[in-house]
Amino acid sequence: MAEIGKPPRSGVAGLALRMRAPPLARLSPQLRARFGAALVLAAALAFPILHGNDADIDAAANALAFAALALGLNIVVGFAGLLDLGYAAFFAIGAYAYGVAASWQVQPAWNGFWEPFQWLDLVARVHHAGGDVVHFQVSFWLMLPISAAVAAFFGVLFGAPTLRLKGDYLAIVTLGFGEIVPIVVRNTPSLTNGAMGLNGVAAPHFFGYDFGIRATPYYYVAVALVAVLMLVSRRLKDSRVGRAWMAIREDEIAAAAMGVNPVRYKLLAFAMGAAFAGATGTLYVAKLQTATPEMFMFPVSVMILVMIVFGGMGSVWGVVVGALLLQMLQSWFLEDLSSWLHALGRLVHVAWLQRIELASSIELIFGVILVVMMLFRREGLIPATRRTPALALAEQSAQPTRGGFDHLPGIGMITQRESGRLLEIKDLTVNFGGLAALRAVDLAVPAHGIIAVIGPNGSGKSTLFNAVTGLLPEHSGTIRFAGEEIGRLKPHQVLERGIARTFQNIRLFPNLSVLENVTIGMHARLSTGTVGAVLRLPRNRREEAEARERAREILALFGNRLLPRADHVAGSLSYANRRRTEIARALASQPKLLLLDEPTAGMNPAETLELAEQIKSLNRLGLTIMLIEHKLDVVVNLADKVVVLDHGEKIAEGPPETVRRNEEVIRAYLGRSAALA
Amino acid sequence: MSETSVLLQQVVNGLSLGAMYALLALGFTLVYGIIELINFAHFNVFMVSSFVGMWALQFLGIYGQSQALTGFALAGVLLFAFFATMLAAGVLGVAIERFSLRPLRGASGTTGMITTIGVSYILFNVILLTVGAGSQNFPDPLPVARWHFGGVTVQLKEVLIWGVALLLMLGLQLFVDRTRLGKAMRATAQDAEAARMMGVNVDRVVVTAFFLGSALAGAAALIFGLYYDYTSFIVGYTAGLRAFTAAVLGGIGSVTGAMVGGLLIGLIETLGGQLIAVRWTDVIIFSILVLVLVFAPAGLLGRASPTKS
Repeated sequence: MAEIGKPPRSGVAGLALRMRAPPLARLSPQLRARFGAALVLAAALAFPILHGNDADIDAAANALAFAALALGLNIVVGFAGLLDLGYAAFFAIGAYAYGVAASWQVQPAWNGFWEPFQWLDLVARVHHAGGDVVHFQVSFWLMLPISAAVAAFFGVLFGAPTLRLKGDYLAIVTLGFGEIVPIVVRNTPSLTNGAMGLNGVAAPHFFGYDFGIRATPYYYVAVALVAVLMLVSRRLKDSRVGRAWMAIREDEIAAAAMGVNPVRYKLLAFAMGAAFAGATGTLYVAKLQTATPEMFMFPVSVMILVMIVFGGMGSVWGVVVGALLLQMLQSWFLEDLSSWLHALGRLVHVAWLQRIELASSIELIFGVILVVMMLFRREGLIPATRRTPALALAEQSAQPTRGGFDHLPGIGMITQRESGRLLEIKDLTVNFGGLAALRAVDLAVPAHGIIAVIGPNGSGKSTLFNAVTGLLPEHSGTIRFAGEEIGRLKPHQVLERGIARTFQNIRLFPNLSVLENVTIGMHARLSTGTVGAVLRLPRNRREEAEARERAREILALFGNRLLPRADHVAGSLSYANRRRTEIARALASQPKLLLLDEPTAGMNPAETLELAEQIKSLNRLGLTIMLIEHKLDVVVNLADKVVVLDHGEKIAEGPPETVRRNEEVIRAYLGRSAALA
Repeated sequence: MSETSVLLQQVVNGLSLGAMYALLALGFTLVYGIIELINFAHFNVFMVSSFVGMWALQFLGIYGQSQALTGFALAGVLLFAFFATMLAAGVLGVAIERFSLRPLRGASGTTGMITTIGVSYILFNVILLTVGAGSQNFPDPLPVARWHFGGVTVQLKEVLIWGVALLLMLGLQLFVDRTRLGKAMRATAQDAEAARMMGVNVDRVVVTAFFLGSALAGAAALIFGLYYDYTSFIVGYTAGLRAFTAAVLGGIGSVTGAMVGGLLIGLIETLGGQLIAVRWTDVIIFSILVLVLVFAPAGLLGRASPTKS
């Protein structure tokens, strides 16, 4: 097994290849990435020292703040695929959280309640003619995480109503919240000073050093913030959490069927994205020492969106580069370009050239960028997924080898000998409007059996699978799995219990690699959460490495069909290989019961035979299988028992040979005259 | 004025606003019904059209509010202005579809919507950079005529607005119900793929939806200018979002829904402003938008649901 699990390019040939490469390429990709990141960080740290211009450092600090916002929006839009058009609202919430907690804006009358807070140095008692008042002076450093938490809370609050909505409607609801927040800020002057803007927001102190209005200290805080957020983004992306987000982005139903809880991970994305904006808002308002509602309106949300579209949605480096480029364009390039045009105008005595102010056209440029990127380069400047080169001709035309199925790696659960009925369905009825898709169906799947469900199109076969896997909550009857009623469970809970499935119309995650697709199948069997993913404790590293290893082993079950293509995006695979990948993904969840919906559809006879054999070997290893199949020879060859559905009713059940001769079955399949003949 | 007559006056105002929102909402609903796209460009097609309307009237030599016309002269001027504005708006809508959206047909998810945000930004800034940020005095050839019913005043321009809106909506309804292209539109809205296989030229249907929707936005824009006597580069955003809310409230994809929703939003805006406070109007309208989408996504009359299938 271990040999198959290794990456293909190894041994002498691989070594020779590495020797010929230029020196940098001899480093491992990881080391190279770290080296590059360290260089960029060093350049960022050296910038204010080498370039003393305070205005430029200030502009750079602002640009970095927007890079931080872009990173946050990238989690929501790029990773989880939830288009948020009101993202500036969370920026506002973070800004006003600090703005109120460290300014002269709110000054309640002093009383005993505030004393403990005074000891903690969060508030001060100020002597006033009309009686003492409270002055809030919460530390900037304390407010950074608090603002992030407050914004995250609102992220969940605003995200929750959108959970059921389709993408563009979700965008509209977030736009609505994005409009409401600045209006509420404007209309509650007692707290925010309304349209006049907060005044006297305290500058941060660092061990007695007052940041004041110098640009450099804010610049360094912004560099640190962006560096931390990039690290967090990168680590989340390459973890169980990030894979869950991307699975939801690619296909929410398939993600749920593979064990990802969509509600939980969507809310997590909203919270995480909002938290980034909350912390950034605090930095921004501390730097400006004021805030007005106009700073957080729709154009700001769009600007951040333009940044991530430009840089590359889902790409951590991409969105940072996108944000920095656009900010620099705004504050430097356009100004320079305008003054060059003015100079040219003076030179050639053309008046209108001297009047051009390109800086005012920045929003026009944003619009053009959005349209041009969508039309010609949707993946952005630095795409999130690097295109894997196609297989070499030799690899493409390699003789297919069939994998060994003598053992199933990492799948211990199904080899336990369970006896009796694994799945028991009683009186299952599903109605679509007036149409009964399933009518009082009883069905039992014995442990370690292979059951085939057959029937004409529209007879309710896929409906049966959907009901079992929790995709059709509106049904009556009972569905028991290993003794437990599962009829009311959500899809991801059904998978956790040990039922995995494939779909009739193949629902892979098309923009993720084959390996990632399979690893997502393990979601329910892995435990790394957000904190673990960010900290990368030894336990989490080990789990991740084992998961990848196991995913490769599962791919190896299909011989050299999938393994050489492990890093290819699933959408680029051939039809048969997509079917195989979907089965591999289902197997990765360590199921006890595997539901296959027309697994051989669209395969040629040789491929069908190969897959049928593989299904049989899976069963020999102890896996219970229920499959929907139209090819009767496959059914006869594989199944212990055949269940026939017609118009939502079970019309026959028994061993394949008996069912094949059943008159009612023949009538359902071939028509009345055939039955009489 | 008594309390009741103030409210009744606000109802009259609300109906005028509502008629305008309804015309604008129809553009959202027609396009959404056919290609399931929320068209942000529509906001600023409206705004650009209001400038076209202004230029059309100025082309006829009408500036400001002092040159009131009557009789055939007035009818001719209005006919020309509506025709020119609606035609220009329709052509703009078709151009947007042809050059920025058709290449993206079939692209997944929110790609189309993001593109329309970009187009909207381009239109917005082209007007801002060429015409400028100041608001423009909109020519108004209508004579000042008022009728008083109890404490309520109805102006001639309001009667005109209602009449034009009613005519256009009836025309649209007839077009969708009675013509061959209208039938093709309804078929495409139900199932574009099936319609294509039955020989419907889907591209033509989409172009028609954009043309009609944008032309109606053009009419709404002219009405806006005549009603408020000004226009500016910013008028698209607020009016557009309110009209979009109207389309959602009525049930996106439903032509009748857009009309009902438009009138309701108009009334909510004026009565809400009167009874609560104008500064909270936007919050009220956005709350309606959010609440309808979350709790009754099909709206009042919609069939298509914006939740996941």
